[in-house]
Amino acid sequence: MNAIEVRDLKKSYRIRGVAPPTLFGHLRRLVTRRRPDVFHALKGVSFDVPAGKTVGIIGPNGSGKSSTLGLVAGTITPSSGTVRTSGRISSLLELGAGFHPDLTGIENIYLNAAILGIPRARVRQKLERIIDFSGLHDFVQQPVKTYSSGMYVRLGFAVAVEMDPDILLIDEVLAVGDIAFQLKCLDRIREFQRQGKTLLFVSHALQTVEEFCDEVLLIHEGNLVARGDPTDVIMEYIKSYMGEGGQLFTQEFGTRRVEILDVRLRDKEGREAAIFNAGEVLEIEIRYHAKERIEKPIFGYSLKTGNGYYLYGSNTCIMNYPIDAIEGEGVMRLRFDPLKLLHGNFFLSLSIHSWDHAEQFHRREDWYPFSVKNPSEAQGVFALDSSWTLD
Amino acid sequence: MIRSAIEHRELIANLVIRELKGRYKSSLLGFLWSLLVPLFMAIIYVVFLRILAGRSVPIEEIIIGVFAWQFTVQSVQGGMTAITANANLVKKVFFPRILLPISSTLANLINFLLTLLVQFAILIALHFLLGIELSWLALAVPLVVVYHAFFNLGLAYLLSACNVYFRDTQHLVGVLISAWFFMSPAMYNLALVEAQAAAHPWVMKVYMLNPMAPVICAYRALVLADVDFPWSVWSMAGLLWPVIFVILSYFGFKRAQRNFADML
Repeated sequence: MNAIEVRDLKKSYRIRGVAPPTLFGHLRRLVTRRRPDVFHALKGVSFDVPAGKTVGIIGPNGSGKSSTLGLVAGTITPSSGTVRTSGRISSLLELGAGFHPDLTGIENIYLNAAILGIPRARVRQKLERIIDFSGLHDFVQQPVKTYSSGMYVRLGFAVAVEMDPDILLIDEVLAVGDIAFQLKCLDRIREFQRQGKTLLFVSHALQTVEEFCDEVLLIHEGNLVARGDPTDVIMEYIKSYMGEGGQLFTQEFGTRRVEILDVRLRDKEGREAAIFNAGEVLEIEIRYHAKERIEKPIFGYSLKTGNGYYLYGSNTCIMNYPIDAIEGEGVMRLRFDPLKLLHGNFFLSLSIHSWDHAEQFHRREDWYPFSVKNPSEAQGVFALDSSWTLD
Repeated sequence: MIRSAIEHRELIANLVIRELKGRYKSSLLGFLWSLLVPLFMAIIYVVFLRILAGRSVPIEEIIIGVFAWQFTVQSVQGGMTAITANANLVKKVFFPRILLPISSTLANLINFLLTLLVQFAILIALHFLLGIELSWLALAVPLVVVYHAFFNLGLAYLLSACNVYFRDTQHLVGVLISAWFFMSPAMYNLALVEAQAAAHPWVMKVYMLNPMAPVICAYRALVLADVDFPWSVWSMAGLLWPVIFVILSYFGFKRAQRNFADML
C-alpha cells in the first residue's frame, strides 16, 4: 500500500520581479497586458512512497525539493497534478512555527502543539517528556524571546516529535542544535521508523540520507532525474552535480607547475569503478605532468563524508615515502588495501605541493566522489582495528 | 465553516489565547489596557464634543457608539494582518487558514465583551448621576453582539485575503476607516444626521445602508429607554446585506487561500 502517491505534479510560480505585490503593479499589468513570467518549480513529477518506508529527496539548491514537500504537506497548492496521501500527515518543516515571542516556553508548547494538531490532553500528559527532550528545564517559564536560536529550535523539535502521524515530512531540520541534540533527533527519527511510520525527507546531508532511506529520489530543475537505491542515486547525484565537472562543492587551485591530469579509481581487478566494497581494494591512479624538474614534491590526499565531515588526510611526507624529483608526465598510485571505509559517499581531495608546503602546485578539493557498500554487519563510517579479550 | 471551527476548537482557543496574552504581555497594566483604551476614548470624545458642540451632546449615546466602533476597528486591524502576520505558519504548516481570521475576530470579541462590562458600569453610574433611563431590553444586547461579530468576521475574511495579494490594503484601510468613522453614528447620534438630511431625504436612506449605522443604533435602542431603533426598509437593508457580504467574503477567502503560500 502506498502512503503517498504523487502523479504528474506541476507547480509554477509567477515571477513578480523584485517588487512585492501591489495594487499599482496589478493595474499596470492589466493595462500593458504583459503576460507574467512563470517559473516552473516542478515540471511533472510522479512517485509513490510505500507505507512504512523512508524516502529521501536530494538535489541541488532550487531544484524543487522543498516545493515537493510543501505540496505533499498541503501548504502549497499544485498548479496541476495530484497528491494522494493516506493517513495523518505531519511535517517537521518549520520548527517553532507560530511561537509567540512574549509567551513562555510552556505556553508556546501548548500553542505549537495545537498548531501541529496534537490534542491538548496528550500534551499535558507528555509535558515532562517534551521539556526533558528539549533540555530547557530552567527556561520554560521564560518568554521565548529570551531564548537563543538553538534553544528555540530545540523546543520546537521537542514538541514536533510528540506528533503521532502516519506520515512525517522532514525538511533539513536535523542540522540544528549542538551535536548531542542532533543525535537525540536522529534517534527519534529511528524510533519513528521502528514504529512503521512513513517518512519523506529532504536533506543535503548525504550521509544521513544514505543511512536512513530505503529509497532516494533525485530532483533537478523540477524533474525527477533518478530514483532507487540510496547509494546508487546519491552517487549519480554527486557525479552529475558535485564532482568533476560539476560546479557545486568543488574547487581547484595552485600554481600548476605540476598538474594533475587524470585520475582513475580502480577496484581489485583494476577496473575503473565508482562504487567499491568495504574490505576490498581501492586504487587511485593519478596521472600528473610536471612542467619542469621539481625536487622533493609531496603528494597528499584527504577524505570527507557526503555530509562534508573531514575523515582523514595524509601525504607522502607523513607516510615516509620520500620522492626524489619528478619531471614530465608520470603516474602516482595511492592504494587502500583493505579499504576500511564501511558505508556511504565520500569525497577525495588530491594535492601536489612543494616539500616545505610553501607552494601548492595543484590541489583539487572534493573533486573525486566515490561510494562504498558494506556487505558486513558492522555499523558506522569506517572500520577500526579492534579486538575483544575475555580474561 | 462551522464544522471545521468545531473540529479545530483547541487550535482556535490556543490562537485566541496567544492573541490576547501576547497583546499585553510585557506591559505593566496588562489586560487592563483593553478596558482603559475605550474608556479614555469615550472620555476624550465626550469632553471635546462638549467643548465644540455644547452641553446637548448625549454622553451615554457616545459611549455606546465609541465602544461598538472600537470593536469593529480592532477586528479590521487584527483581521487584516491575520494571514500576513502569520506568514511562516501559513507557508510551513497545514491547517485551515480560515481559522486565523476567525481567531483574530474571536479575540477581539472577548476583548469587546470585557469592555461592555466597563460600559455598563459607566451607564449605571450615569443612571444615578444624571438620571439616564436604562431599558430592560439591554438583556437582548448579546444578540446584537453576535450579529456585530458576524459582520466583523466577514470584514476579517475579506481584508486578510486582500492584504496577502495587495499590501496596499493596509494603507487604504487606514484611510477608509477614518472616513467610515465619520459616516457612522459613533460620536454623534441619528438626530444630527436627520437634521442634515431634512432637505434631502435620500441621504438618510443611503446613510442607513452603512451596516454600522443600524448596528450602533440597535445597541442604543436596546440599552437606552428613550432611544428608538430607526425602523425603515433602509435600516433593515443595512442590517441584511452584510449577511450576503459575509457569505461572499467567506467563499472569496476559500478561493484566495490556495495561493496564500505562494504570495507570502
